[in-house]
Amino acid sequence: MAQDNLNRDQATARIRAAVTQDLLSGRISLLLGWQKGLFWWRSRPLFARSQQDLERLVWDSFCAVNLSRYLPEELSIEERVGILVKGCDARAFHRLLQDRMLDRERVLLYGLPCPGMLDYRLLAEAGVKEAEQMLEEGEELVIQTGGGEERRPRTDFLLEKCRLCSHPDPVVYDQLLLPPGEPRMDPASRFQDLEARERPTPAERYAYWSGELQRCLSCYACRQVCPACSCRECFAEQQEPRWLGKGAGLNENMLFHIIRVYHGAGRCIECGECQRACPVGIPLLELSRRLAKDIEELYGPYEAGMDPEAPPPLLTYRPEDPAAFPEK
Amino acid sequence: MIRYIQESRLEELFRILSRRGPLYLPLAEGPSLSFRPWSEGAPVDLKTVNSTVSAKEIFLPREEAYFCYRRAGRELALEPLEQEAANAVAFGLRACDLRGLEMLDRVFKDQDPPDGLYLRRREQTAIVALACAEPAPYCFCSLFGIDPARAGGADLQAWWHGEGLCLKALTAAGEELLSSAGELLHEGPAGAEEPPRVETGNFGLKLEGLPAGLRERFDDPVWEELYRSCLGCGACTYICPTCYCFDLEDFGHQEKGERYRCWDSCMFREFTLMAGGHNPRPTRKERVRNRFLHKLQYYPERYGEIACTGCGRCLRSCPVDLNIVQVIRALGGESR
Repeated sequence: MAQDNLNRDQATARIRAAVTQDLLSGRISLLLGWQKGLFWWRSRPLFARSQQDLERLVWDSFCAVNLSRYLPEELSIEERVGILVKGCDARAFHRLLQDRMLDRERVLLYGLPCPGMLDYRLLAEAGVKEAEQMLEEGEELVIQTGGGEERRPRTDFLLEKCRLCSHPDPVVYDQLLLPPGEPRMDPASRFQDLEARERPTPAERYAYWSGELQRCLSCYACRQVCPACSCRECFAEQQEPRWLGKGAGLNENMLFHIIRVYHGAGRCIECGECQRACPVGIPLLELSRRLAKDIEELYGPYEAGMDPEAPPPLLTYRPEDPAAFPEK
Repeated sequence: MIRYIQESRLEELFRILSRRGPLYLPLAEGPSLSFRPWSEGAPVDLKTVNSTVSAKEIFLPREEAYFCYRRAGRELALEPLEQEAANAVAFGLRACDLRGLEMLDRVFKDQDPPDGLYLRRREQTAIVALACAEPAPYCFCSLFGIDPARAGGADLQAWWHGEGLCLKALTAAGEELLSSAGELLHEGPAGAEEPPRVETGNFGLKLEGLPAGLRERFDDPVWEELYRSCLGCGACTYICPTCYCFDLEDFGHQEKGERYRCWDSCMFREFTLMAGGHNPRPTRKERVRNRFLHKLQYYPERYGEIACTGCGRCLRSCPVDLNIVQVIRALGGESR
């Protein structure tokens, strides 16, 4: 993504300059951003309270963590929080706002148009082991392998959540720190890949999802990372009444995931953090997107997290809403 | 004596070994890799280091039933469950998996009385260790004195050589496995008497001062910073080879059901939630601290060894990159 011809270091410097000013002046007391993780292909959340902390700030191709998830808790401690938002962080912010999980006035949003984050697994498959073997040149990755140099489109290496992202530019911000990017896909056609992979009969769907969900560990990473999961006490851990056994059998796994995804129907912002967080790689984003697609077919075009004034279809009632179960 | 089998004939070996009982192998499940009972055509992956979920689940399964209960009127009958077939084989465990088992042994096996379910699985399972040809970027087992090519406590050591596996029996049970394979195995190639030495990196960590120095650091401000990014999921605990906490539950109703145990995680709020609503570990801060102090202080104080094998699973799988290397560094365990 051509970003004003800024490379990532320059972009990071520009971001750092903007937020440093606000942190030092006391306009914000905490900045949520990213810092380098243990590996070059990882960036982890940064909770910056000082100029010294901000020296660790980075904006690179691995800032995948959706930071908005941290806002409700941080706002219970901090007076005014600044946060760097990509497209998905911004929609997550709207999700939380609409769910009355935070106070708009106490958050300062710094918008960052997102070029999409890279998936190390795909890079490793292409033979990239060290950071030096991979150079980003605009829309291309230059990869050094034993055999020489290879140029591949950057989009070949995006995390699935980024490959499927229909709004990489933040939909809400107080200040846009980098120039807007080009849209990667038309939101209206965002379910095309699902149509190509339709499983027409309930038996096929059951077989497919049984296969995927039987390996679920019940670690609840998908729930913990989700900006739409806002129950104070999840049904999965409620003791009285007990809805769900603690075992890791297919029955429990399926019940958990069905309820989780139905709670998100029409509210899920399709950020794909559930799938990225899943340690055993269950394609949870597809599950959520299937429901989002159903919602659109039943209630008309709707993208969650775009407009905080547009209530989710299942939280409103219109006389013309379909009343019957669709025959499928 | 070293025996050798062509990679292309491994399927035949698995067929033979699985006649004895369940044969656990690292099987691909989507992008994930877990030890599962092998069946014909299963997607075996003996190259990837390490399995996504540790091999502990062969011996401490995600869930496991103790007994069934049946009630008729005032009569309550307990029925033991049918035992799984004996003579299991666990194939493809790495040296760090074996070290993890040592840690679990101290908790479940070397106790009086020992844990019956664990003991049975442990005693009935022959272990084939597989040397790591090349460590993953996440691996740091050398820090804990583990040689990735030589596993302690296995019955058979295997290592890749050319287009196949060298096999060396370490115990009588290992010899028996080899003889059961009969003519599938050939004499090992010359010059392959030992698996090649392999060493991992250690992320510049040092372990001096652990666990002794941690006693005074329970209220250290470092915990205040460390827990912040933690999401409070249980991924790290469930993939970890040395996490062994479990919970007991009943499944069923008044007349009939079963009592089982299943993995539990100290990262969950209700892990320490008491009747009446008190929770001694009320926030993620206490829970994160507990998880890492268990590894670095409580377990070593009790059993004499840090409860980490350097397998790197928490480095790979934590969605927010919070892992034991970061924690040891934050506690000052970094050589400069």
